[in-house]
Amino acid sequence: MIFTTHTTKSGFLLPSIHSAPPFFTEQPNPATQAIATDHWIRLILGYARHRKLFFLKVEDAETSSNDWDEVLKNERINRKVLPSHLSYVLEAMVKKNVAVYEPSKQTRTVMLYWRTPEEWAETLHNWASSTGQLTTILTYYDITDPPVESELTGIPVPLLKKAIAILAKAGKAQVIGISEGEGVRFFAGN
Amino acid sequence: MIDERSCARDHTVSHQPNHTLSSFLMALRRSTRFIDGSIPVQALLYDDEELLASQDGVGIYDGQQKAPNHQSGIVYISTHRLFYIDALNELDHSFTVDQSLVLQTEYYAGLFTSSSKVTLHLQRNSFDQTDAAIANGGWVCDVCGFRNPAGLSPKAASICSLCGVPNSSVPSASQHISKSLPTSPSASPAPPSDTSISCPACTFLNHPSLLSCEICSTPLPRRPAMKSAPTSRPESPHDDDDDSNSTLVLKLSFRKGGDKPFYAVLKRSLKGKAWQVRQSVGNTSLNGCHEAGRDAISKTGISGILRSVQCSVQGEQDHLTDALQDLEALMAKAKDMVRLAAELNEKLTTVSSITPSFASPASSTSVLPPPSATEPEEATFIRSSLSQLGLHMSNAPVTQDMMKDEREWMEELAKELAGVLQGTSGSTRTGIMKDRGIIALDDVWGGWNRARGLIRLSHIPALIPPSTFLQVIPLLPIYTNPNIQTRTLNSGLTVLHTPPFSPAAFASRLAGFISLTAPQTTIDIAMEEGLSVSLVKEMVEAVEADGHIVRDDANAAIVGGGGVGGAQLKWWVNMFEGYMWDGHV
Repeated sequence: MIFTTHTTKSGFLLPSIHSAPPFFTEQPNPATQAIATDHWIRLILGYARHRKLFFLKVEDAETSSNDWDEVLKNERINRKVLPSHLSYVLEAMVKKNVAVYEPSKQTRTVMLYWRTPEEWAETLHNWASSTGQLTTILTYYDITDPPVESELTGIPVPLLKKAIAILAKAGKAQVIGISEGEGVRFFAGN
Repeated sequence: MIDERSCARDHTVSHQPNHTLSSFLMALRRSTRFIDGSIPVQALLYDDEELLASQDGVGIYDGQQKAPNHQSGIVYISTHRLFYIDALNELDHSFTVDQSLVLQTEYYAGLFTSSSKVTLHLQRNSFDQTDAAIANGGWVCDVCGFRNPAGLSPKAASICSLCGVPNSSVPSASQHISKSLPTSPSASPAPPSDTSISCPACTFLNHPSLLSCEICSTPLPRRPAMKSAPTSRPESPHDDDDDSNSTLVLKLSFRKGGDKPFYAVLKRSLKGKAWQVRQSVGNTSLNGCHEAGRDAISKTGISGILRSVQCSVQGEQDHLTDALQDLEALMAKAKDMVRLAAELNEKLTTVSSITPSFASPASSTSVLPPPSATEPEEATFIRSSLSQLGLHMSNAPVTQDMMKDEREWMEELAKELAGVLQGTSGSTRTGIMKDRGIIALDDVWGGWNRARGLIRLSHIPALIPPSTFLQVIPLLPIYTNPNIQTRTLNSGLTVLHTPPFSPAAFASRLAGFISLTAPQTTIDIAMEEGLSVSLVKEMVEAVEADGHIVRDDANAAIVGGGGVGGAQLKWWVNMFEGYMWDGHV
């Protein structure tokens, strides 16, 4: 049986394995399931990067017409990921540190690290320096929803805070309390 | 009964300094009864009496003075009485005290050379009339006709154990007492036991035993005929009427210790008041029932009968439990016995192998000389006894031949089974496994035994027990062509299979079948293989566990999906293995 790749409407190239029905079934054999899980993680992170999606919920496998439809379902072979299977994959992602339960203390929603917080910190600092906003006090809103769209547009605040914390540790940023809540000021660094 | 008085008098007479003291010196004489101490105490007990504790090295004080004849003995305590068995002269100086006479006890812990003592304040012994009941043995109740058994304690024997009515023959029995108590002739005339009491209200003539009228429940007048109280009161010996209200004192001096536990037992026994009327319902003295019956107040009437039935049932159960416990103990011992037998056998073997020249030098060179040739007669006898008991020793030389035979036998069986499975050459019969490459062990066993029923080999028992069957199975590969192997599946099901059904062969065949055709359900595979679905399910899952195939669950369908049993699962060749990412980068 030969499976083919498929390009979705959003322009994402689905791997050929996405057309294999067993890919959507949780395999009892742990070795087999480990391979499938690795493929799922790669697929999810790739799609999240492609669509700039930061969150994946177990509910996404239960409801239809959401951002994840193209990945979690395959209409062509009449298969979908069952919530229990997705939950297992999310758990594996958290274990691999490519996602984190956000908010913590629940296992239904993860925040995806298709870039690690360290990469985000670098991106953030590059953006601040390239847009000439070093030493300027910025609110989180200024970063997540800048007038000119950037890579950081739409970044969730928890992830942003992690990135800022990493910069602050390196002496490249400073968190400042301002009237509207918290602000941040970036430095050129060494 | 008479002797104790005489022996007690010996010292009471000699130690009578004054009148006040004399009242104490009567204790031995007044409150105790002579017993023959040469009889074991257990034999002196009433049927409803139990021995609680004993202590030796006890001396007796009668009042404040030592009783010279009772200075060293064993004191037994039962639920009803205290026994003193003199160590020096058990025949003449032993006595018993009823606990019912004990008014009060004191405990003295001892000081320096003074031994610890237990003081008993005793009532005058009334030697109540019910002793006669014991002397008479059993009696028949006037009211219900129940035959009361002999051997109960006096109080218990005085009341019918079935209906609870007092023994009406007791007052008349006091005449017997007068014989045994010559110093105190019965003061009252024997009451006419058969005189009915007329009810003052309804004039009904009631049985003399009744306290209230049977018809109208009016309290009946106490007729002088009812002598239960008088017979026990005024019969005290004539010489002591003055101090009839004073108490008598008896001290037990514990010269060898043991006083504290003894005193505790005494206190408990006194508290228990076992001597109070407490009919032994199950008159055969069922211990368990005594416990239960002790606190029950009324044990008469229907409830009494019911309890009696209950008790006998419980008694039977107890006996059964005991018997089973004995059996278990025996079984536990059996292991030791077998071990001992083995050791014995080994010793015999070594002895006979060390000294073969003793018996027959000719056969000493042989490795395994026949036992009869070399062994002494006794050893042979012991061996034969052991084998008669069924204690065959596997390490014994006699059974080594057997072992060899057994191996041959197993091999024979294995050959035969191979024939049954694969069909013997030159025979028209086909084997069980001719058309089936894999077969469950129970099928094999059943089929083989059926075949044996047809063959009827004369020299082998017709049917093969499962244990032997399991021993034969490992030998099969040697005698089968192609080899038949054993395999245990995940569920624990053991199967025999031909090479095409070995795990690896089946997996590769399955993978080929799936990839050649299409993903298959378990049922499809079962049909293809011509095997049962449950067996194929296990085999397929074993292949899956090896990672050769993967499953597609129809429950993961967007539309529809689901199915019955294995229909919802389709088996695919494992496409994850070796898959190279060809998606979005």
